Amino acid sequence: MIETIDFIPPEDIFLVDPTRRKDIPYFDIAVSAGFANPADNYIRERLNLQDLCVPHIDCTYFVRAKGESMLGDYIFPGSILVVDSTRPIETGMVIVIWVNEGWCVKRYIDKNPMIMLESSNEKYAPIYLHPDRDKISVLGEVTYIVSKPPRYGRPR
Amino acid sequence: MVALVDANSFYASCHQIFRPDLEGKPIIVLSNRDGNVVARSKEAKELGIKMGQAFFETKELVNEKQVVVFSSNYELYGDISARMMSVLTQFAPDVEVYSIDEAFLQLEDYTGVYPTYKGLGQAIRTSIRQWLRLPVGVGVGPTKTLAKVANRLAKIKPECHGVCVLETQADIDEALWGFPVEELWGVGGRSASKLKREGIRTAYQLRDVNDDWIRGAMTVNGLRLVHELRGLSCKLLEVNQPPRKSICTEPGFGKVIPDLDNILDALTTHLSRVCEKLRKQESLCGAVTVWLRTDPHRRTPGNGLPAKQYSTSVTVRLPHPTSSTLEIIRYAESGVKAIFKFGYNYLRVGIMLTDLVPADYRQVGVFTKGPDERLIRLSQVMDKVNKRYGHDTLRMASQMYNPEWPMKQKYLSPRYTTRWEDILEVK
Repeated sequence: MIETIDFIPPEDIFLVDPTRRKDIPYFDIAVSAGFANPADNYIRERLNLQDLCVPHIDCTYFVRAKGESMLGDYIFPGSILVVDSTRPIETGMVIVIWVNEGWCVKRYIDKNPMIMLESSNEKYAPIYLHPDRDKISVLGEVTYIVSKPPRYGRPR
Repeated sequence: MVALVDANSFYASCHQIFRPDLEGKPIIVLSNRDGNVVARSKEAKELGIKMGQAFFETKELVNEKQVVVFSSNYELYGDISARMMSVLTQFAPDVEVYSIDEAFLQLEDYTGVYPTYKGLGQAIRTSIRQWLRLPVGVGVGPTKTLAKVANRLAKIKPECHGVCVLETQADIDEALWGFPVEELWGVGGRSASKLKREGIRTAYQLRDVNDDWIRGAMTVNGLRLVHELRGLSCKLLEVNQPPRKSICTEPGFGKVIPDLDNILDALTTHLSRVCEKLRKQESLCGAVTVWLRTDPHRRTPGNGLPAKQYSTSVTVRLPHPTSSTLEIIRYAESGVKAIFKFGYNYLRVGIMLTDLVPADYRQVGVFTKGPDERLIRLSQVMDKVNKRYGHDTLRMASQMYNPEWPMKQKYLSPRYTTRWEDILEVK
């Protein structure tokens, strides 16, 4: 039996903005009944996911991932990718890019003068492209991934 | 200095944002009910497709040249436009949104931040290209009219690379020298022909005319234009636009309709939209005008003679200003019933809300009690529900009498940035 009251450290308590329901994370904090909340005076910040994931609201695109080529980077079929178009593309970034006839999400590696697009699933071979020969167009860098956790362990 | 930033073939470019394969291809965008061509990409213009041309007239060309056709997707255009305007405020805080794809920027106080206007223009252009994937042109000049001239030159002169700056008197002289008067901002067809009769063909000639003469020929607006060409600002930046004085719509049915039931159905649908706009700009309207029109180009099937024409309008004055759809529709319906004549095939119903006053305006009439506040609030609740759950989730019972007729958009594209179900998918 635990005898002490399980206080919540005041710096761990944040107010959630109720007017922006879509954006807020879910906090389920059990409050000890009959005990005045010692953190009342500390509640200042209001959080929403938009502030965390979308620093440039006008230059951000939401994109749905299909396929399994990027499983190793936690991108599952159905994941929503937050894509920021303001950053210059550098080696190592996971980007959304148009290659010849469609959009795809891949890791970008600069192999001057070629470009390598790497998947993070061993079954998929890397793609080599030449800026002069292939039609490529970069949407932006994937900055966040929104996924639901699988219910019964990871697929495969 | 003032900059004018505008997007090249804005509607067509919006469709290319998420479809890089369409870059360099001819694209046309159709009006609300796929009736006419309302926008064309540069390549479609070169094929000779005209603005406002009926879509069926272009079909042969469309098939032959593989022109890509889209129904208008105003939700996408609106969002991309809002993004563009918001990005522009990063370059200069005073931005006048002049139209869906054009904005004036006041650059006066920021000379220190950017070394040259040309550099600033290039920065705007490359940023918007990378961030929003939109091609824009930038014109910079001492006045709004000269910025418009510069913007036009930026488009037609390849050596400008999309940015044209008229800074010195020599730049301005050179730009105006060969610039046709009819392409100046605010010169309509009639003024242009009047000027040409006097031998004034270029903006350069117009700049040096006599003040009194131009005031006589083109009123004070002409004088303002001439002053602006000389570099004296007469048109100031309107950062906060005043609410509109009237709201108007004249949608076609997409086919001719002979019966009152279908017309009232269309009236209700479009009036609901117009009233939503009215409430959005926080106004009440005092009068509603409705009109009916037959198709002027229609020929009677069978004998091929021009069909009988009928066109008339009626204005109904409301007992009190209101913004409630329920109230306005009662008066609009009685108006349409009064002017409707059996035996004609109608093409359009028009609606105009006039005598707009601010929403906090209340003047109780002598014989009437004033608007029912509960009805206005009810309409606001409808707006909120429809905003959250989609258009027409809550609607008038008389609307959608025939569920087929509003669906006439065959070439719809996804609303990539405003609907979760429409976002881009990647492999």
